[in-house]
Amino acid sequence: MHTHGQDRPKPYVEVRDDYARQHRSPAVELRLDGPGGRTLWPLLTVTQGALILACLPLVEAPPEPRPPLPSLASVSQGLALLSGLQDFLCGPGGKPEPDVLASRLAALPSVLLQVCPLGRPLDTPPPAGSVPAAVAPSPGGAQKQPAWKAGVHRGRAVVSVALTEKVRSMQYGKSSQQDIWDVYGMVMCKCEVEGVLPNVTVTLTLPPNGSPLQDILVHPCVTSLDASILTACSVDENDCSAFSGPYKFPFSPPLELFRLCSYTSQVPMPPILGSYQLKAEENHLKANVVLKLHESVKNSFEYCEAHIPFFNQNLMGSVEVKVSSGQLEVSKEKSLLVWVLGQKFPKSHEAALEGTVHFSGTVAGPTDPLCTGLTAYIKLYFRVADFTLSGCCVDQHSVQVYSSAKPRIVTTRELVSSEYYIWNSTGDAPVSSGAVTASH
Amino acid sequence: MTIADLWDQRISAFLLSPSQFLATTSTESFLAELLHELRNDKTNDQLKVTKTLLVSVLLEHPTILCPSASVGEETALELLSVFSHTPQKSIVLKCNVMLAITNVIICTSCLNTHTKTAEDWLDLLFQMIQDINDYRCGLSQQPIRATACDCLREMETCSPGLLSQKLEALYLLKQQETTVLHQSYCLLYTLGLKNAIRILTNQKDVTDLEFKSILGGNEGFAWKSNQLELTSLPINMLVQVPRLTQGLDCKDLKSIMSLLLEESYLLMPISQSALLRELVEVVAMVPGLSRTLFKSQLLRLFGTADVSLMHATLFMKDTFTDSLFTTEDENFLLKRLVGMAQHPLLRITEKLFYMECILHFPENRPISSSGEESLPVLVTPRLAAFLHPTVFNDSATMLCRLNLLCLVHLEANEGEADKGIGFLFDHIMALLKIVDNDGSREVVVTSLRALFIFLMHFSGMEELSEKLIDKLCDMYSRHSRLAPNLIGLADRIQEHPRPSLVGQVAKRLTIHNLSWHLKVLKRVAKEGQITQRNTIYLLLNVLINSNLCERGNWQVGNAVLAVYRNLLDHPSIDQVFIELADLLQYISIQYDDTDIKDHARIYYTLLTNLSWEKLTGVLAKRLDGGRAKEPAQSSSESVEATGEVRNWLEVYQGQFQTPGFGSEVTLRYNLTHAKETDPLFDKVFTICLHFEPKDSNYAKVTDIHVPCVFRDRKSPEVKVKLKPFQPYPTSLCVSAMFTTQDGRSWHSRLPDVSVSFPEIFLPLPLPPNSSRECREQVFERIWEATASGNSDKSAISLFCFKPEDKSLADLIKTHFQGYLITDQQSERSWKVLLFLPPKCHILLKITQAEDAAQVSIATDNRELLPFLNSNRWLNRCFAGVHLHRSF
Repeated sequence: MHTHGQDRPKPYVEVRDDYARQHRSPAVELRLDGPGGRTLWPLLTVTQGALILACLPLVEAPPEPRPPLPSLASVSQGLALLSGLQDFLCGPGGKPEPDVLASRLAALPSVLLQVCPLGRPLDTPPPAGSVPAAVAPSPGGAQKQPAWKAGVHRGRAVVSVALTEKVRSMQYGKSSQQDIWDVYGMVMCKCEVEGVLPNVTVTLTLPPNGSPLQDILVHPCVTSLDASILTACSVDENDCSAFSGPYKFPFSPPLELFRLCSYTSQVPMPPILGSYQLKAEENHLKANVVLKLHESVKNSFEYCEAHIPFFNQNLMGSVEVKVSSGQLEVSKEKSLLVWVLGQKFPKSHEAALEGTVHFSGTVAGPTDPLCTGLTAYIKLYFRVADFTLSGCCVDQHSVQVYSSAKPRIVTTRELVSSEYYIWNSTGDAPVSSGAVTASH
Repeated sequence: MTIADLWDQRISAFLLSPSQFLATTSTESFLAELLHELRNDKTNDQLKVTKTLLVSVLLEHPTILCPSASVGEETALELLSVFSHTPQKSIVLKCNVMLAITNVIICTSCLNTHTKTAEDWLDLLFQMIQDINDYRCGLSQQPIRATACDCLREMETCSPGLLSQKLEALYLLKQQETTVLHQSYCLLYTLGLKNAIRILTNQKDVTDLEFKSILGGNEGFAWKSNQLELTSLPINMLVQVPRLTQGLDCKDLKSIMSLLLEESYLLMPISQSALLRELVEVVAMVPGLSRTLFKSQLLRLFGTADVSLMHATLFMKDTFTDSLFTTEDENFLLKRLVGMAQHPLLRITEKLFYMECILHFPENRPISSSGEESLPVLVTPRLAAFLHPTVFNDSATMLCRLNLLCLVHLEANEGEADKGIGFLFDHIMALLKIVDNDGSREVVVTSLRALFIFLMHFSGMEELSEKLIDKLCDMYSRHSRLAPNLIGLADRIQEHPRPSLVGQVAKRLTIHNLSWHLKVLKRVAKEGQITQRNTIYLLLNVLINSNLCERGNWQVGNAVLAVYRNLLDHPSIDQVFIELADLLQYISIQYDDTDIKDHARIYYTLLTNLSWEKLTGVLAKRLDGGRAKEPAQSSSESVEATGEVRNWLEVYQGQFQTPGFGSEVTLRYNLTHAKETDPLFDKVFTICLHFEPKDSNYAKVTDIHVPCVFRDRKSPEVKVKLKPFQPYPTSLCVSAMFTTQDGRSWHSRLPDVSVSFPEIFLPLPLPPNSSRECREQVFERIWEATASGNSDKSAISLFCFKPEDKSLADLIKTHFQGYLITDQQSERSWKVLLFLPPKCHILLKITQAEDAAQVSIATDNRELLPFLNSNRWLNRCFAGVHLHRSF
């Protein structure tokens, strides 16, 4: 495949590397060897590790001039099918064991026969390992069985609703460059409830003065939506008078675990504000890190770590670094400092790291094209149970299930870090984005 | 090896390359074997798997295995009998067979020609789907019923209107079915309904009765409704949506539609999106139906996380515009799209798709309707700020965002735009900085693509472009391996008015990494606006002050000559005329490679004997390449060259689809006795000749058997069939086993058979009665393709000589009689095509000027050139022992 260019010795191959070709579309073209040198288009691809999944949607139009992708119905169906195949083959973790992958690949033809007979997608393949436990065939009767529900649940009724919120941040510690952060959340549901089309309603609530949930996307099983729920949009002007809940999601659940809805949110401050100063002195680097936990954040972590990698350097030699809280570890590879902050920040909500790192003369450490010179970062990893930054929560009592048996209802929430970077303020941080979130 | 393993292997081989596989057997026999195995009554689990595999071959390649309608019909019949004999419990196999039958019937046009088998199969399918809610066959047979629905849907799709007289029956089935299969019934009914209405729109003055009779149809299959075939495109592809007459009574249809919409929620999202599209088409075609029918679904759809449902919503928007979507809706939908294009929880491909959707957003009041990318009016810099590219994006996302943001800032008002463009510029600079640190292919290509996008949009902003070009030059001086990338970029930018890039780069050249620099210089020499003095001084310097000439490397020499070739038709050549001539003469004397010397001499002669106009004329006609600024001309040529020309080339190339076509050379030899041997060997019998190619360029040669060779009789002729992978000269070791009269067996080594280069030539393999036009067109097309330089492997060469004793025409006749494409003696020009299996071509255009002949050579396999050159074969052809390569 030209576009996915296996690494060839040739650095520049025109058909692959031509600058004018559209390499920004979800569809690529595949040039075929052989007579006529024909081209397949639009080829949709999804790459996961060494696996490339591809499909060729039907073009129900004259091939020339090329119709725009959005005018082809088959493109979004192809994208959905590929996503489904990816989930089916790789599972939620994304990295199946080779033998697991092999067995799933072996099952692929019969799965495709089911979801895509004669090449026409009807459904997406079931995600790997999603087969629900206690299922009985549908009872028959006047009520039509949804196509996305193979049977009905039998047994104890349980509804679990898990709210996970993730926070990303890029902090520069400079007046010339604004720090940015964003928060997004998702509600995962697993409903073991009897009946062909049981009604369940999950309600998300915000604390008073909480900023509205934005960009809400819902699962197709949600039966109806109130217009006000969808109004807030992150790309829009902030409107303080906007609807801020409660957010009601009435739906009829499928049997498997599913993502009921997702949202983004704008919070006034990042949960942990950091500063990182790295200076080069003769043959060592002098580092100074301060992390400050925002007072509104629950000071009870499941884990909290700061990773301080050193790229394009030799391996670390002596490390003379002190921390005001937690412990410091030097990774086995001698190119990374791990500052384990543990479960709690000190009372002052502030923790500091200071010291020098020497690099031994000979062996080169890992390289990175971005982090040259004093361009360096700290990456934070943390998880706080029973907390969200937006304040969003699912009250156990607000989950309504209209069914004969009273179900057990389990709700959880958590905050997890994702791509949380603090850049060295004495170096040039890569421009992440000039204009973004100027509103912060 | 079990039968199953054997089939496994064979099917894999077939799927890998059907044509190659069928070359080893015949289609009929393979098909017969497949069907025979399928009829095998033994059932065990492994055999079931094998059978499923066999059916999948028929399912995927029906037209290869059933090349004609009659074979298709026979095969379908066989499969039908396989289907009825397969036990009830082999569900997967049965479903596969059903799909295979359907595919064979459709693909071999049994359906379109209304054959008996197709009719029987349709009846059977329709009978199967009557078993609603599995009353008769039970739950275990549900997949069969689902497949029957799928098969019917496929047949209705391929023969629209087939079910148009059965809509009432289908509606009732759809209503009564309550299992998960109601999705299949629902889709089948809706497709039938849409097609029936579509057919009705072709009819003038539809009456209420006719309209109603569609919904109430309960008759046979409508075989004659194929007229729809041409117009079955989705409505968004049509210039005008077909519409029914106004004023029809739509009450029943309306309630059917409402019910379908209400239940759409029960379908899988992908199927739901397909259903919605059909319903949108129905409403668009029936003026009596209100668009507001969809209102109840809109909110649910606006909020969906599913890409196919969102896409269907945009289709609805495109079809109904302001008759269903208010300005507010439009604004809202666009904001959602921008939000989704950067939503952290959506997949990358989905986000890329949404960005495409923004650029093709169906506005209620579009400014242009060209189908080209354009930015919706409502997308402002503020709205798009979140789509700003970052260095952390994957390459497709980054390029996609950059392109979108460029469009946004092009449209923005001044103050806002300057700031935005500044951000984008910083982004490009950040990318180039990464290239400085990391030269991996993807990083380089992505960054330069980004730069290209930026330059395309903002080429008018001199200051920014200058800065970028400075940065590139700076980078090149540190990383000369980027030369091919920069040349590629320059070629692209060339099409737009920014010629200074290459010139700037040239200023930074140094002696290191000469081969890259030569490439850049070659490109620079195409720039009419750049004086070439620097290039020439640099080369002069390099050649005189280094050991390049003594080393005599052919490739370097060629690269140097390639620069000259471009310099020769440079418009300001007269300014550097003397230096250039000096250089060429220097090479023609000093360079330690005959070929390079010869070429330099040709250039020298051309330069010193012809005026510039003539020189460029000669170069444009005879040699490869051309001035960089001529894309318009060449593209108009290729437009004219469509039609018949392309057909002939396609005919020619199509022949290679046939396995083994043109892959063999047959050499004839006589098998004779050596001069003096023992009388015992005067009569030898049952000779088996065994050939062993000495290299891997040829396939194994099959043994040849000769009954007998007698010394006193005529020696038998032996035909050796060679199958080259690479058509290079070779030699074969030959050994023989034979029996003498006394009954003893002997093994003997025969002299090697050497195969010279001309022996591998074949004439252009076209059908024997092909016209001269046809041959000429194929010749020209291959020439064009080769000369375009698009392929890594092709090459062009030039050869000049002075025919001495014989006339040129005689020489050509002697050597190329069988390979002549045209022979225009009057115009003193000839075209010769040498075909070399498996699929190489050497093309010669021979022209006679006043006192010399010129041979332009093109080949699609440059590896062959040395055999033409190094053995001086061409020389020998034309000049016998006299070798003249100069004027």
